[in-house]
This record gives sequence, C-alpha cells and structure tokens, in this order.
Amino acid sequence: MPAFLYIFKKKISTNLPKDPAILLSIIVIWFFLLLFILFPLSKIFILTFEKSGHFTLANILEILGKRNHLQAFWNSLLLATLVGLSGTVLGFFFAFTSVRASLSKGWSKFLDSTIILPLISPPFTTAIAMIFSFGRRGLITYNLLGIKTFNVYGLHSVLFAETITFFPIAYLTLKAILSGIDPTVEDMAFSLGSSRGRVFKTITLPLAIPGLANSFLLLFAASLADFATPLILAGSRFPVLPTEAFLQITGLFDIRGGAVLSFILLVPAFSVFVLQRYWVSRKYYVTITGKAGAQTQIKSVTSKTGKFFLTVCILISTLILYFYVLLFYASIVKAFGANYQITLKHYIVVFTEGLKAIKDTLFIATIGMLLGGFYGVIVGYLISKKTFISRPAMEIVSMINYSLPGTIVGIAYLITFNNPPVIITGTAIIIIACYVFRYGATGIRTTMAILQQIDPSIEEASLSLGASAITTFKRITIPLILPGLFSGLGIVFIRSMTAISATIFLISINWTLITVRILEKMTELELGVAAAFSTLVVVIVFIMIIFINLFLRLFRGPGAIDMSNILGG
Amino acid sequence: MISIKKSFVIFLMTLIFSLVLVWFVGEISIPGQAAEEVNAYSIWPENWARPMFEEFEKATGIHVNFIRFSSGEALARVIAEKSNPQVDVLFGGPVETHSAGISEGVFEAYKPPSYDVLESRFKDADGFWVGIADDPLVFMSNAGFLKEKNLNPPSSWNDLLDPAYKDMIQMADARTSGTAVTRIFTILEVFNRDEDKAFEYMKKLRANVQVYTKSGGGGTIPVGLGQAGAGIFFIVDALKTQQEGYDVVVSFPKEGIGTSTEAIALLKGAKNPELGKKLIDWASSPAMQNLFAEYKINFIPAHPDVEIEPSLAAVVKDANIFPIDNVWAGENRKRIVDEWVEKVLP
Repeated sequence: MPAFLYIFKKKISTNLPKDPAILLSIIVIWFFLLLFILFPLSKIFILTFEKSGHFTLANILEILGKRNHLQAFWNSLLLATLVGLSGTVLGFFFAFTSVRASLSKGWSKFLDSTIILPLISPPFTTAIAMIFSFGRRGLITYNLLGIKTFNVYGLHSVLFAETITFFPIAYLTLKAILSGIDPTVEDMAFSLGSSRGRVFKTITLPLAIPGLANSFLLLFAASLADFATPLILAGSRFPVLPTEAFLQITGLFDIRGGAVLSFILLVPAFSVFVLQRYWVSRKYYVTITGKAGAQTQIKSVTSKTGKFFLTVCILISTLILYFYVLLFYASIVKAFGANYQITLKHYIVVFTEGLKAIKDTLFIATIGMLLGGFYGVIVGYLISKKTFISRPAMEIVSMINYSLPGTIVGIAYLITFNNPPVIITGTAIIIIACYVFRYGATGIRTTMAILQQIDPSIEEASLSLGASAITTFKRITIPLILPGLFSGLGIVFIRSMTAISATIFLISINWTLITVRILEKMTELELGVAAAFSTLVVVIVFIMIIFINLFLRLFRGPGAIDMSNILGG
Repeated sequence: MISIKKSFVIFLMTLIFSLVLVWFVGEISIPGQAAEEVNAYSIWPENWARPMFEEFEKATGIHVNFIRFSSGEALARVIAEKSNPQVDVLFGGPVETHSAGISEGVFEAYKPPSYDVLESRFKDADGFWVGIADDPLVFMSNAGFLKEKNLNPPSSWNDLLDPAYKDMIQMADARTSGTAVTRIFTILEVFNRDEDKAFEYMKKLRANVQVYTKSGGGGTIPVGLGQAGAGIFFIVDALKTQQEGYDVVVSFPKEGIGTSTEAIALLKGAKNPELGKKLIDWASSPAMQNLFAEYKINFIPAHPDVEIEPSLAAVVKDANIFPIDNVWAGENRKRIVDEWVEKVLP
C-alpha cells in the first residue's frame, strides 16, 4: 500500500467516531448533502464554465456582454444596497423607539405583531397591494391624491415594497442588540453632562454598529434573492438577476444562460453570507456594568420625541395593516377598481379549481416540515456535539442552499434531476428535497444555538452512568432540544407555504403549489383570486404559528419562533 | 388542573395529526378515479381551458389533467422534458410556439379526421400540429383615456407613437408571451420584413410603453381600469375585457394586423398517445369549436363548418387582417426574440 494512503487511512481511523450509530448517521447525512446540495451546485458550475469539454469564461462573458444582463447585475447590487440601507435605518428607528421610547406594553405588542406580517406572507402580497394603491388608478395616487402620471413600475416601487417586507429582519436583529445595551451606561454619560444627541452619537450608535452591519448584510441578501417583488413591480426598465434568470429559462429556454445568470448572482450572495456569518455576527459588544439590568428611568429621548417616534412607527405599521386589509378587501369584491360588489366567488374558485394546489401544498409542506425538522435537529446535534473529521465541512455545506437565492437552487435542481442517475422531476420528492435542504438549515442553526447553552456535563453524566449514546440522546438531549425542533418544524412549514423562487422551476402537472397559482392568477389578471389565495395562506400560517407557540409553551421552551429566520420567498 | 389542560392539548394535537395523516395516505393511495386520463399543458387560460376539458370529459369520459403556462414557458417545459415527457398534449397557444417546437423535435405527427377539410394555414404540412382557432391581434384602448386626451381610437401603427400615449401602453414581453411574438412578427410584416425599419419602429414605440407584461392578456385589465391607455392584444383577450364591462374600444390599424392560428399538438413519447389523439380529434372538430360562443370564448373557429358568432363577425368585418407565415416565424423566432430583448427591451 502506498505510504500516503496508509497515512490517510490512519488519520481517518483515529478520527472516526467510535459509536457505529453516529458513524452511520454521518455517512447517511453526507450522502444526502452530496446528492441534494453539492451535486446540483456542481451542475451550475459545469454549465457556467464548460463549453464542448473545455474550461472557458466565454459563457459568462457572452451573458455579461448583453446590455440587459449586465444592467441586471448592477441593478441587483444597487437595489440590494438601497434596501439594506433603508431597511436598516427603518429597522433601527423602530427598534430604538421600541426599546428607548418607554412604550406601553400594548403599543409594543401592536408594533411587533404588525410588522411581522410581511415576513410570514406569501410573496406578491405587498406587490399586489402596491398596484392597487399606487397604480395609475390606484386608491392612494389617483382617488386620494389625484395624481394621474405616477408610474408604479420601477426601482422606487421595488425599493419601497422590499423595504416594507424585509425591514422587520433589521428590527428584530437591532432590537436584540439595543435592549442588550444597559441604559445605565447612557445614564452615566447624562450625569456627566452629555446632551441627548451626544449620547446617541457617542454611545448608543457605536455600540449598535455591529448590529447595523449585520442587519445591512441580512437585508442585502434578502433583497438580492427576492424574486417575486421585482417580477411584479420592476417593470421592463429595471431588470434584476433573479427575474432575468427566470425569464431566460422559462421564456427563452436558455438553460445555460439561466445557469450562468444564477452563477453571477451566486457570487455576491455567497460573499455576503460568509461575511455575515463568520465576521460580523461574531463582533457583538456586550456592555458590562456593575449592576446590569438595574431599573432606571430611560432618558435617552424626551417624552415628546418619544411620542413623535411612536407616531411615525404607528403610521408605518398602519400602512402595512392597510395593505393587508386591502388584500382581503380585494378578495371579497367582484373586480377591484371596477366593481366593488361583495362576493364569495373568488373563494369558491380557490376551493374548487384551487383545491388541488391547496392539498398539494399542505401535503408537501407537512412532509417537508417533518423531514426538515428532524434533519435540522440531527445535523445540528452532530455538528455541535460530535467531533469528526468532516465536521466543519458539514457545517458549511449544510448552509449552502439556505444562503443562496432560491432561483439558483431551483435552477440547479431543474438541470440536475431531469437526467440520470437521479430522475425526480415531476414528483413531489424534488420539491420536498428542495425545502428540506434549504429551510432545514434554520433548524440546524436553532438546534446548535440551543445545544451551545446546554452544559456538556449533563450528557457526560448520563454516559458515565452507563447509558449508551442513543439512550443519552433520547433521554437527555432530545427533551432539551425539543423547542428547537418545534421552531425548526414551524419555520420549514411556513416557508414551504410561502416560497416561490426555487419551486417555480420544480412544479409539474402532478404537483403544483399555491404560490405558483397566485403568480399564475396574477398574470391571468384574476387579481381577486390571487388575493383570496394569499389571504388563505396568511390564515394557514397564522394558525400554524399559534400551534407552535402552544407547543413551545407546553414544553416551557424559551420564547417563540425566531422570526428573523423567516425571510420571504 | 394544568396537567389536564396539557394532556388535553396533546390529545387534540395527536388527533389532528392522525386525521391529517389519514387524509394524506388516502390522498396518495387512491389513484385517479377516472379510468382514462390524459395530461396536457394548456396555453389557454384556465377560464377557457377548464370548461373545454370538462365538456371533453362529458363527451368521451376521458379526464384531462392540465396546468396552465404562457406559451414560452410551456414550450420551454416540453423541450426540457423531451427525454421524459410529463404530458401528452400541448393545448392551444399561437402557432409560432408549435413551429418552434417542431425544430426541437418535441412533437409526434398526427392528422385528425378534420385535417383534410382545414384550410392550409390551419394545419402543418406534416401534421405536427393542427389549428383549433384563429386569433387576430387588435388595438384596445380605454375609452376614458381617449376622451381625456382627445384622441380617436388608434387606426394606424403610427398613431401609437403619439406622445399622448407616453408611458400609457401595456403589451406583452416576448420572452414569455406568444402574443408578443405574434405582435413582433406582425410589425415585421407591416414593414415588409425590413428588420432595420421594424426594429426602429419598435424602439420608438418603446418610449410609450409603461410595462411589458408576462402574459399576453396581462395588460387588458390595466387598460380596462385606465391604469394604461392602450395596448396590443389578441382579440379573444380584448373582447373578454369588453364583455366584463370595462369601457374599452377595439380598433384595427389600416396597414394591417397579424392573426395567429391557435394550435394543438401531440408530444413525441407521450405516455397516453391514444387518449391524446382523441383530445386532438375533438378539439379540431366542430364538437369543441361550436362551444366557443356558449362559453364566451371569442376565438374565430378554425373548422370551416363552424359559424362565427355574429357579434364577433361584426367586429372583424372590415379589418385588414393577414396571417403570419408560421414557417418563417418558427425558423426566426429565437433570433428575433433575442434581438428584441437586446435592442427594444432596455
């Protein structure tokens, strides 16, 4: 045997887990990660860099040589930067108001629950409402303000809709940071004679900077990946990459072009993900004072400014609520904009013609939820509790599909699983696999976060008392991570109900989804039916959240679902 | 107390869970009830395809599973699935789509009984597709918009270049919509296939376009509502908008406007070819085309034995309508659409 092989073998054998069950799990998980994450991704790389058997940059150059595509690339970056900035500012404003403006409990609950709505809604909801409100005959622009020439299509609309949809991510991130800053630090500055502005500039803002950077990157990524909003609102003069890739494939049947476009999208998306995950998210400041959490009168804003801030927040929340009321209203009138007679006909369509889509979606979401939840817990457990040679690789690989825009994942699955060795196009498996390996990652992260807080000595105690690894896992670890499991289940379910960017490529004659029906109904201009479908999804997701919270409370788990994981699309 | 509540909730959850599970298992294990099923991609909107397929089932007992795509998407799908076709029939859609499909080798030739009586522009010489309807393009404008701007309904292609229409025209995107492809080939014909002049015109028209929609009828309701002033649509979409009560005006350009055959085709490697052929037989015969009027589908029937509905006949009576040369269009579709994306769209 050649020497290097021997070394290799020895190295492996010393690092192999001793427990066969663990070893088997690792092998099985790796098999799936290879099949459903790395293999499809490699197909995109091959399509991008290969031409008649040779490595080439010609494909990329050809695509970028087209004015429209190059513009789409810059547009995507521009839009993502703007959404990152405006969303972070708005999120910071909300978080600051919520933490520092001495809100009553009622108001803070109102704000919390309203601005979460866009995060858990099917895509297009904001876009539909925008067209109803700001179109040429929109309720606000035309009927209210009498503006006749406002153009609802373009950068401004997409920016506005995406900011409204995604700023809650910034809010949740920044609220956690701001409430971690002990107000007594600010108090000290006040007692030393600082003005409010100076305290804000020299204390509050610098402490929040890592959080601001973090939320900027999260929003940047969310906007970069967003497919639904630009598809409806961008118009023809503002192409962005996810929609261009979609049109390249579905419209021009240029699969290679679509793959190349999604590769171009992959570069900034993955860089941002790495930056966010491995750099910014580890740079948090913690304020340590003698008596942290001491009750103190918050002075950083006067009650007058506080009231002003609150009013602005309420106005914005009201706008969001108005969008949802409008959506519901559009679903119960005959033809929004023309005939405001109340009718149930759109819901009748939903529950007759649309019944198959509803059943399919629920079926896929439920199976995906169960598989994805367990997948998340198992991988999360392996990564945080076991040492094996491929552990860091497993952590990164398991996050890939989650960090990439859905368009890329969808295209990768489409080109991979339509040919041997694995043909699963046209089945439910391809959609379920897409959900499990994409959204299951949130379960992994939740599980890891929970496990990091568990003292390993508890498990060690169990092991030293003679329990096997499986018994320990069953009796000790599982009960501890149950809340993580439920959150993971919930997130996979909710996102399965609302996702479109990946699965629009994966639906088939046998399996269709509500979100795709919504898009179809929108392009057929059955806006009432689209609104009815959307309302249905919001209701189902709400019921699901109530269920999960019930479960969590039963097991006295810490808090509700981490909403920041529920990015749209 | 608390523990009773807890166990009740758990019981409730388990109950719901098992009910859902039973339902799902039932859902999976019961195969389609209808003994005979045929699968189709429909380019016709669901509102028209569904009643047709229900009538087909009534007449033959064969159930049609279908999903609706715009023509570009449907074509992309059948090409992608060539090695493993998911459907048997491509139903409807302007014939440029089907012509493009022939060169990709996705269809199986089949000549239904009506084949011999159809006019030559309603059938492929080799039988790769047959026509089920004729669908001319029209100009459709919002009556209120015309009045406000003091315009007559557009009666020439040049009328649409009027600055009064700035940002007020909606029409379809050629990457996804067959309507758009037919429109572009119409403009090419109007300019005697002088591509430079035709694209020059389209670039000028671009200045007046508010948005290019994903599907062919995508602009009809915005025009109906006055969000847009005018657009170029298939007659079937335009008249539907009118029938729904929107105040819109249909007009034709004096230079002429193209019409496209709506076609049906059998896929190569279809899993239920015999049933697919039955659907084609039915769709290409008066059996289906006589139903257009009843369901308010404003296509002009392709079969010579079917009478045009009188009000529809009145609309197209004096119009200058010419057929698109589908062979030429099919051969050049990709090149022209690419050029349109490159030159006109940005």
